[in-house]
Parts: sequence; C-alpha cells; structure tokens
Amino acid sequence: MNELDKLYPPTIREHNTSPFHFEQRKDRAVTVRAYNPICGDRFDLFIEADTGATNTIYFHGFGCAISKASASVMAKSLSGKARAEALRLCNNFLDSLDSDSDEALALPEEWKAFQAVREYPERRDCAALAWAEMKKYLESNPS
Amino acid sequence: MSHTFNPLTVRHDFPIFRNHPDLIYFDNAATSQRPERVLREISDFDQKQSASVHRGLYELSSHATRRYEAVRDKVAALIGAENGSTIAFTKGTTESINIVANSFRKRLKPGDNIVISGMEHHANLIPWQMICKEMGASLRVIPVTKEGELSLDRLQTLMDHKTRLLAVTHVSNVLGTINPVDEIILEAHLKQVPILVDAAQSAGHLAIHVKKLGADFLAFSAHKMFGPFGTGVLYANPVWAPSLHPLNFGGGIIQHVDFDQTEFLEYPRNLEAGTANVSGVLGLGAAVDYIRTLDAESVIHHEHFLATVFKEKALQEGFIRVMGNPRRHAGIVAFNVNGVHPHDVASYLASRSIAVRAGHHCAEPLLQYMNEAASVRVSFSVYNTADELDRTIEALKEVKKFWA
Repeated sequence: MNELDKLYPPTIREHNTSPFHFEQRKDRAVTVRAYNPICGDRFDLFIEADTGATNTIYFHGFGCAISKASASVMAKSLSGKARAEALRLCNNFLDSLDSDSDEALALPEEWKAFQAVREYPERRDCAALAWAEMKKYLESNPS
Repeated sequence: MSHTFNPLTVRHDFPIFRNHPDLIYFDNAATSQRPERVLREISDFDQKQSASVHRGLYELSSHATRRYEAVRDKVAALIGAENGSTIAFTKGTTESINIVANSFRKRLKPGDNIVISGMEHHANLIPWQMICKEMGASLRVIPVTKEGELSLDRLQTLMDHKTRLLAVTHVSNVLGTINPVDEIILEAHLKQVPILVDAAQSAGHLAIHVKKLGADFLAFSAHKMFGPFGTGVLYANPVWAPSLHPLNFGGGIIQHVDFDQTEFLEYPRNLEAGTANVSGVLGLGAAVDYIRTLDAESVIHHEHFLATVFKEKALQEGFIRVMGNPRRHAGIVAFNVNGVHPHDVASYLASRSIAVRAGHHCAEPLLQYMNEAASVRVSFSVYNTADELDRTIEALKEVKKFWA
C-alpha cells in the first residue's frame, strides 16, 4: 500500500472533504477552543445541550486533513451521548492512538483510520487535537 | 581563495547526503546541514584537544583558549566587525537578542517605546514585548505590505525621541524578504536610536559588513550557517558594548567577587558565564572557514535564483499561492496549495524525501498580515539544485491530485 494511502485512508479523506456537523454554532452552544500553537490548527468545538441529558457536538475552524477528520469523527461519535459516556469515549480514542494494534480490532470502524498515526509520531497531535480538548472540558464540567 | 561553485560539487562536502542520497533538503531556514570540515573540527577537538578554556594552567587548556579566542577574530572578519572583542559567544540568536533586551530593560521608562517590524521571528518580538510590558513602554510595529515588504514610509513617524531601540530582521524567515537594513540604520541613527539586526537568516547567505552598515547589535546562530547547534554570536558596536550586562550570572565573568558585590569583566567576557561551549565555538570557526571558501555573491545569487525559479514554476501550476512578492529576496519561499492544508502538503513531500517546513514558522503575526493561518516553506542553500525544484513541483502536482 502507498505510504500516503496508509496515512490518509478513505475515512480520513471523506471526513476531511465532507466533515460531520461542520458549522458555526457559537450563539447556541458552549464553545471550546482546540488550538495547536505549533502548526496553527484551530477549531471551535460546540457543545449543544439536548433536551435530555445528552449533547450534540458541532465544530468549525481550520486544520489539516487528519485533525479535521478526527474532529469530525469526534462530533459524530459523541453526539447524542451523555457526558460520562462522552468522556469514556474520549479516553478510549486517545488511548487507541498509543496502544498496540491487537486492541485496535475492537475499535469502532471509523476510529481505526487514525491508527496509522502511530507510525507517524509527528502527526499524532493532529489526530488527538479535538479529542484532547473535549476530554479536558468534560473532566472539568462533568454535568 | 574564493571561487564560484557548482551545487553538485558542494553537495559532496556534506555527509548527510551520502547517508541520504535521495534527500531533498529544503528546510535550511530551520537549520542548515553541516560540512565534513565542521564535523571533523568538533570531533578532532573532542578526541585530541578537549579542555576547558580560560581556566587551566596546562597546555591543553591554553591551546583550547587560544583557538577559542581566535574564533572571535574569524567571526569579526566574516561580518566586517572592528575586531574580535566585539564578538560574544552565546547559545544562539535567541539568547543574543535576550541579552540585549535584558540590558535595555533597565533603560526603559514608562512612555518610552521600542520599534520592531511586522515580519519578526518570535525571537525578535517576544523579548521586546516582555520588557515593554514590564516597564510600561510601548512596542511599535513597522507594518508589512501585501508584497511582503516593510512600509518604511511609516518609520519616520514610528520613531520619536522616546524610542530606545529599533530591532529588525535582515532577512524574513518566512517571505525571504531582504530588508534594506542600511537605509533603516541611517534613519534610526538620524534619530539617535540604536539598532539591533537579526541576522539569523542572512549570516552565511549574504555578505554582511556591520561597520559599513553601522549596526549597533547583530545576532545570529551557527547552526543556520553550516555550524553546530547551541552556538551563536552577538556583535556589539564598541560604543554600545559597555551597556550590555550579563543575562546569566556565574563563574568566568568576574573581575572580583566578595559577599557584598561583584565586579564583572568587560564585554564580551561578561556575557559568557559558566563553562564555555568550546567545541561548538570551534565548529562555528570551521563553518566560517567553510563559508569563506565560497564566493558570497555566488551563494546569494544561487539561492535567489532557486527561489525565483520555484516561485515562477509554482505560480504557473495555477493551484499554488505564494506569500508576498518582495523585490529583494533571499532563498526562502512560503506558499500554500489551494485546498490542501500545509501539514498534508509537507507529509506528502516527506513521503517523497523532500524536507520542508509547515506551520506558522514562529512568525504568527506576519501570517495574520498575509491572511494565512499557516503555510509551507521551502528554504534553499548552496547544495540545492534546480533539478530538486522540478522534483518538488512534480510532487506538488501529485499532492493536488491526491487531494482532488
């Protein structure tokens, strides 16, 4: 397989081109800034309370294909989840960027696309950017 | 003796290309590669002559001291300085600038100002911003035009009787702009404002003559001009040298110490506290020797040529935006591929053994001026060739196709 097809599997390319919930929602949601000062990637993560105990996640901003696709997959994975569950998913995703491949088999299909960054340590932060900020937010705002 | 060069011949001087024959190294503004002669100088010293300087009463130490001190003269000759005693050794450009900023902090009063330009590397911005904030002074910025040049018509009004220093880069690390430091220095001196020139991107690329220029301070790093990491230079004009105070306190910089007070040595020795980076300084000396084997005019001509050709070819493709279009420029170009993030461009190029930089290049405010969040940067040196440009343009076409 071409090295680039490995780093950018179809899931990442699709989410980069057509990201999930990619829209400005500042007025309606809590905004969390995910910013990487090294490269200038900057996303706003919008956490919108649903009528029940769950949230819907949107995001908007500028970043590379990996950070954008990762934020998109995050919005998709965490929307409709309660905060405790969302936090658990954040931890799982971030762990999956560092764990060995055997455990990867149990990952949701769309998460597997990011496994390649384990071979490109300089791109790990791209994949982690949105999730790490969301995790921080959820830890300090459990309900 | 100076001679013009052939990049393919020069390439043989650099062992990195023997170890990575396919490497296209276009990240020279971050750090240059090191020629054999520099590596050998460092290794010879470590293996045969290693000793601390200015301390020991034995032959190895006095020999090391003589050689270390001799590098001041070599550096002075390279940049057209008065003599070796104008040259202080530091860890790099950043430390050199911080030494000057730390010394000028004490001279600032509330209401004073310092002038910098809008195309400074963070290393020539943050130290000034910090001392201004601390002392209630203001930081004034020379704006940058869309072409990536300084709006020098603003300089007259930005400088006034409260301006304590002007700090400006010789060559922009993002746009490659060669600033007319001679004109800027003249204007600053008309208003009796001292000037610091950040020569990190010009030393080793352009002929510099500090005495003719009239620069009061000049800072650069060894590792961007074929020398080792962790070694840099601060030049101070003899008039201003006494105004510089130690940034680090410790051994090696003192005349006399008792429990109540300390008398320091004179510049430059007062700035070099602690055990000196002797092998680094000798490596810098070897880098200066190496640079002197190259014809300075051919070097800048070659790097300028590569940048010009790269810009032309990139613009012809129609999907590449080049940042700025300065009339005078060195071998540095920042650009973006339409619709593809700079990191994704850089990763693709990396897969083709092309090393470039992507990001904001430690010059965030400049990218804001240019209305770009980040960019890809290619920066050239003596060992780069036109053939490497063609391979890079081909790879950029593939990038565009991959992300289409």
